Amino acid sequence: MRHEIWLAALSEELRRHGVGPDLAGHVVAEAAGHLRDSGEPPLRAFGPPDAYAAAVADSVGGPAVRAASGPVRLRAVDIVKRYGKRTVLSGVSLTVHAGQVAAVVGANGSGKSTFLRICAGLVGAASGRVEVHGTLGYCPQSGGTADFLRAEEHFALIGAGRGVSRQAAARAGARQAAALNWTPNDAHARHLSGGTRQKLNLVLAGLGDPDVLLLDEPYQGFDGGTYLDFWHEVWRWRDAGRSVVVVTHLLNQLDRVDVVLDLSASATGVAA
Amino acid sequence: MAVLACLIVDQDRRAQWLRGVLDLCVLGLLARGDSYGYELAQSLQTAGLGAIQGGTLYPVLLRLQRSGLVTAYWREGGGGPARKYYRISAAGLAVVADAAGQWAAFAGGVGAILQERTAR
Repeated sequence: MRHEIWLAALSEELRRHGVGPDLAGHVVAEAAGHLRDSGEPPLRAFGPPDAYAAAVADSVGGPAVRAASGPVRLRAVDIVKRYGKRTVLSGVSLTVHAGQVAAVVGANGSGKSTFLRICAGLVGAASGRVEVHGTLGYCPQSGGTADFLRAEEHFALIGAGRGVSRQAAARAGARQAAALNWTPNDAHARHLSGGTRQKLNLVLAGLGDPDVLLLDEPYQGFDGGTYLDFWHEVWRWRDAGRSVVVVTHLLNQLDRVDVVLDLSASATGVAA
Repeated sequence: MAVLACLIVDQDRRAQWLRGVLDLCVLGLLARGDSYGYELAQSLQTAGLGAIQGGTLYPVLLRLQRSGLVTAYWREGGGGPARKYYRISAAGLAVVADAAGQWAAFAGGVGAILQERTAR
């Protein structure tokens, strides 16, 4: 592989791994210097660009965990939910401030999605209280798109509900889609792959810049690169002062989030 | 075949040793004076530690920088583009001083055991 191609690929992979532009520039310049000095082929000196980018991201650590400093955007207090005789949530609480990312984790059936739907106001709880201070965006695990509408029509429809003009919604949607490595075309949603439909869902959740983003395992069907793009967007939202709640069963990002709500711990109330 | 297996095991063991001490060796070299990545790689090779690839060395330097044991600055090279130089910090010097004693005791222990075994 020619140096320039390898270095360009490294640049792109560093971005995907959430390495900031300043540091990424330094890393690439340093690698270029090393290749020039040593005369070695990049693959031998540094290995594949994605692996080296991952090693760099590991070494510098994730974005620093934030202390609660901004105002409270989402507060759920003592949420109890039963389906028939089965207690799914027994007194679950979560507080998320502006500029924080919270992860909701737990085994299948521990009530992660139910908790998020209660926070979104889509499902009622037996008892407890949810406060949302600001506007809300919600991305379901699946569904949520209209089969016979195109991506841009989705942008216009959801944008209208949030007071965003058709043109502004189309622009914001296209920008957000590009960040997920997706260029929407004229296809109806029913013709999109599962992963692309989830990208559409995610873009819709972020339209109109809501203060609170509730994301229910939104990355299903994403490939590895897009998965990293997704987390990159989460950090960007956080840096912009939003509150993000992500339901996830993948634990490798947990050291980079600010709050972890583990619903396995409250599983005592769940019938076996 | 057996010889080849031995060689691979030897290389493997060497790689493991190196993993444990590479950051200390880099700090030790920087205690002698500021340097940049490729020069450090050459010094490590000259010291008998073998060829250290960039993919191994630079992440170590980033970790040292992140933990405040070294600082970095860019300096114009002679005619060429700027190079990223590393300088050891006071905290880094303290780590080198500490590690030198600890390593001597550790290597001495290992050496005593191995030599006792071969002397029999």
